[in-house]
Formats: sequence, structure tokens, C-alpha cells
Amino acid sequence: MADPTAPASVPNAPTGTERLQLPMATRVAIISRLFAVQASWNYEILIGNGIGFCVEPALRLLPGGAGGDKYRAALARQSQYFNAHPYLSSFAVGALARAEIEGQPAARIERFRTALCGPLGSVGDRLVWVGLLPTCSFGSLFLFGIGASPLACMLVFLLLYNAGHVTLRLWGLQMGWEKGLGVAAALGHPILRMGPVWLARAGTFLAGAAVPLTVMRLVNGGGLVRTGITLVTAAVGASMLVLFHGRVEGWRLALLAGFAALVFFLIRHA
Amino acid sequence: MPIELHRIDDRLIHGQVVVGWGQPLELRFLVLVDDEVAGSEWEQELYRMGVPPEMRVEFVSVAQAIEKYASFASDPKPGMLLTGDIDTMARLCAAIPALRRVNLGGVHHRAGRAQKLRYIFLTNAEEAELRAMAAGGVEISAQDVPAARVIPLETVLAGEATT
Amino acid sequence: MIVDVLALGVLGAVLGLDVVSFPQAQVSRPIVAATLGGALAGNAGVGMLCGVVLELFAHETLPFGASRYPEWGSSSPVAGAAAAVGASVGELPMALLFAVPFGLLTASIGGWSMVKLRQLNARLARRRLEALARGSARTVAGLQVAGASADLVRSGMISLLAAAVALPAVRWIAVQPAPLSGYALPLLAAMGGAVAAGAAWKMFHSTSGTRWFGIAGLAVGIGLVVLMSR
Repeated sequence: MADPTAPASVPNAPTGTERLQLPMATRVAIISRLFAVQASWNYEILIGNGIGFCVEPALRLLPGGAGGDKYRAALARQSQYFNAHPYLSSFAVGALARAEIEGQPAARIERFRTALCGPLGSVGDRLVWVGLLPTCSFGSLFLFGIGASPLACMLVFLLLYNAGHVTLRLWGLQMGWEKGLGVAAALGHPILRMGPVWLARAGTFLAGAAVPLTVMRLVNGGGLVRTGITLVTAAVGASMLVLFHGRVEGWRLALLAGFAALVFFLIRHA
Repeated sequence: MPIELHRIDDRLIHGQVVVGWGQPLELRFLVLVDDEVAGSEWEQELYRMGVPPEMRVEFVSVAQAIEKYASFASDPKPGMLLTGDIDTMARLCAAIPALRRVNLGGVHHRAGRAQKLRYIFLTNAEEAELRAMAAGGVEISAQDVPAARVIPLETVLAGEATT
Repeated sequence: MIVDVLALGVLGAVLGLDVVSFPQAQVSRPIVAATLGGALAGNAGVGMLCGVVLELFAHETLPFGASRYPEWGSSSPVAGAAAAVGASVGELPMALLFAVPFGLLTASIGGWSMVKLRQLNARLARRRLEALARGSARTVAGLQVAGASADLVRSGMISLLAAAVALPAVRWIAVQPAPLSGYALPLLAAMGGAVAAGAAWKMFHSTSGTRWFGIAGLAVGIGLVVLMSR
């Protein structure tokens, strides 16, 4: 397997020996903007404008400064269509900022930018939406199930999740800036390659533990029999949803069933 | 059929492909058909990074895809064939009689394209190409993720289902 | 009550913004947002009960960028507040039996409104494509600010309207005599548990080794249920 960081795989990729520094004020400006990278999300250029918005403070370092020809050309390039996971877009922002500052050819930057979209989306979705988020959520539900206070459940969820979230954004920017067009190497980091697997295992364990406990606490003092009946009902329902996955969404069924039960309960008395 | 989905998606390998479809269909391989990516080692490396360890990915040109399609189709594990544009899929459909069902997963905005769905934008030429494929017996529908509604080509082209 | 509705509008606007636009810290997740809504209405604990049920449902839909999914940020605080208000004037089970499906309905409408917002953002961007092609920093920043502002207004309006409906409704529903209300919590728990367990399977089953982790977790969970139920 070829080493994607090697200069041969991406012509003119930085060798890593040069230490190009990003001024602290620029770094802070980019980091603060990264949290709003999706603010103009739309079906035409997706987060393209957001990428331009985040890269912009670095582009001021180009010869001619803000408003110069190089700045404008680079900003126009960086504000085109782009799609990635929002947290991992920081890898792209760092790498693209570096490529622009190094004066890489426009065609190469554009092709690299296009190729980055898919992997950053795929890795991010697996690591965050199907990894970190459900794992933290089931962890919080587990705490609820064993009787933790609302504040504890909320804080543990937010602290765990955002420790991962903020670290990803900061690390991504750093790695992107360090590696430039060779950022693919950073995507091969064990955290990004194996993180989804570890999180999936932790998430499965926590889901298995949290769901029965959450059901028990919701049933609230109904006793073991009542909790058991509710759990068996939930297990049957889960099996049906798995059987019909892709065709039925449980939350939509629950919406209808919930309102139907409400009306039935009210009518029964009337 | 081991190739569970033949998808057109200009984002190629991304979250909807790997997680959205990959997990419910338990996909174990992806065939990415793109002449440029097939000839670019660094792009292949980049796309490989987006694929989970349990899934393999093959990068092939259109000619190679036509030649190897039977072996992909006979793979006992489920897989997905992916192209980044309509023209590539049309060329595959024309050359592979067994390829008779196509999923429109994402064709995004570009100058000259008009919106048909929130994730489908087409030029007149692309619209004509899809119609020609359908006339040739290919069943085409749009669906970005498995839980979303399946939208037949005629409804897509009518542009009546933008949400 | 008008003050409560307005306060929920503000809270929902901020939490709705978190879903996509800024800062995606997941304060918009039901377990947080509904608890905050409940706290605003005077009972964080009841808000959290509602948030927990909604959180179970939330596992089923993944927020992939371009797909349509329920928007929990503007809906959950209203649901949590409705549960808290209902429990303060009447029966908790009936308050929850109203608040949870109402939260799901509002989240669904919120998801639809996000599609509309994205179409609006696309129109705004389309009109400025020339300026973007010229590399105008002002246009780039303007589109970000416009998008975030529109999202804030969108989520605020959803919360405001939802609260205006939910708070009076729950005050009436929670005090209605309902002899079957004892089944409300088991029903919600069973539906939420089913959806969360099904979602966990869908999310994790294709990763190698997860089955054993799931079985181990289930053993721990059921063991604790038995111990804690004694």
C-alpha cells in the first residue's frame, strides 16, 4: 500500500520538514469559526461557504493581504461546493489553508478538495454520529437508570461528548495544517480508523445495560413483574423494528401510537 | 443478488454510503467506478480512509467494471457499485444487461443544473440520459438513505417532491 | 403563561441553533434540552423523564448532513416544559403521554422546517454566486450570519408556536380523570425501549465483536434491574 503522505503520492506535497507557523490570532479566529461551519448549510453548495468562512483568516496571510488578488482567488476556490462531517471539516480547513499559503497550483487544490469530501464525511459519521454520540447518550441513560440526578446525567453527557467533539475540531485543524495535502495520513490515525470500532463496542455494552435500567426507572416502582412485562414488550417491538428496518421508523409509529393512546385514555372515561 | 445497490452519488464514498446503506445492508465491499480515481493512487488512498475495516473497496475504470462485473456479482458477500455521475452509470447499464436497477443517491448543484429533489440537480442532458436509461429497461429511483421514501424517476424529473 | 411561552421560544431558539448551525455541542439532545425546558417550567426532574423517553427515540435517526431527520433542539424543551407543567397541575403519566408524542410531532415539523431553511439558504447563496466567485469575504461572512440568524428565527418560531399549543393543552389533559393512566408510563417505556434497542442493533451490529459486548451489557442491565427492584 502506498504511503499517501509520501511526496510521490501527491506531487509537491509538503515534506513535513518545513515548520510553517499559523499565528495564534489566526488560529483562534479559525477555531471560533469552525463551530459555525454549517451555519449556511444548503442543498446547493452544502458547507462550501462555511469552509471558505473558516479558511478566510489564514488567507489574509497570502501575499497582497486581505483583498489582494491571491486572497480573492483562494477565497473563491474555498467557498465552492464542499461536503464533510462538520467536526472533521477542521482537517480540510487546516489542509486547504496550508495548501493555499504554500501556493500550491489551483487545479491541484481543487482536486484535493473534492477528494477530501467523502472520506471526511464517512469517517466523521462513523466516529461521531454512530460512535461518540450514541455511546455518550447510552452512558447518560445508564446513569439515569441507576438513579443519578438530572444534573449529573446532563453534565456527564455534555462533558464526555464535548471532550471528544472539541478535541476532534482542534486536532483536525492542527493535523490538517501540519500535513497539508498529505492529510490522508492523519485520516489513517488509529483513533480515526479504530475509534468507530471501540466506540461501537462501548456503545453496544452501554445500550444493553442502559435500556433495561431506563425502562425500569420509567415504569417507576411498578415492581419486577411490571418492569419485566414492559421489557419483554420492548424486546418484541425491537425485534419487529429490526425485521422491518429500512421500511418502518419506530419514532413515527410511536408518535401515532402515543396520540392514539392519549385519545383512548381520555375517551374511555368520557 | 450480491450487488445490493447500484448508486449514483457525486460524493462517492461518504457517510450515507458507508453508514446509511452500509450498515443495514451489511455491505462488505464497494466498487467505485470512476476513470479518474482508478488512475490516481493518492485519491484511492484518501477514499480508503473513509471505509470501515470490515469493508473492502475496489477502484475500477468503466472498462474494468464491465469486464469484472460478473465476478463482483458472484461475490457471496453483499456489495454496492458506486459511480460519481450519470454518464458513467449509463455506460455501465448499456454494457451490462444484468444491471437493471439504479439508485439516484446524490447529484448536487452545479452551473446549468436545475433542482429536482433536495439532493438531485440535473442538466437537460443528464435528464435525457436518465430517460434513455429508463426507456432501455433500467428501473431508476431516488432515495438518499434507506429510511427515506423511494421516489420513482418520473416523479424526480417532474420536480414535485423537493422536500 | 405568556412569559413561559416566550421563555420557551428563546430557549428553543438557542437549542435549535445548536442542532446544525452553531455550535453542535448537543445541548439540543432531548436528554439535555427537555431537562432544561422542565427546569424552566419549575421541575427539571419531570423534564428529564420526558427527555429520557425522547432520547430513546432519538437514537433511531442519525443526523447525516443532507438527509431529513427530526429536529430535537426546538421541540424537546417544549415537551419537557409541557410535562413539568402538566405534572404540576395534574397527573404525571397523562402529562407525559401528551408531552412525548407532542415532542415527536414538533421534532418532525422541525425537521421539515430545516429542509425549508436549507432551501432558503440555497436561494441566498445562488443570488450571490457571482460575489462568491469574486472572492468577496463580505459575502462569505454574510451568508454564514444570514443562515445562522434564519435558523435562530426558525427554531424560535417552532418553539414559540409549539409552547403556545402545548402548555394550555397539557393543563387541560393532565387534570382529566383517566382510569387507564397507569398504563401510560409502561407504554412509553416499552415504545422507547423498543426503538432504542432496535436502533442500537442497526447502528452497531455490523461492527465485529459488538454482539458479545451487547450481551454482556444486557446481563449487567438485567442484573441491576433485578437487584434494584428488590
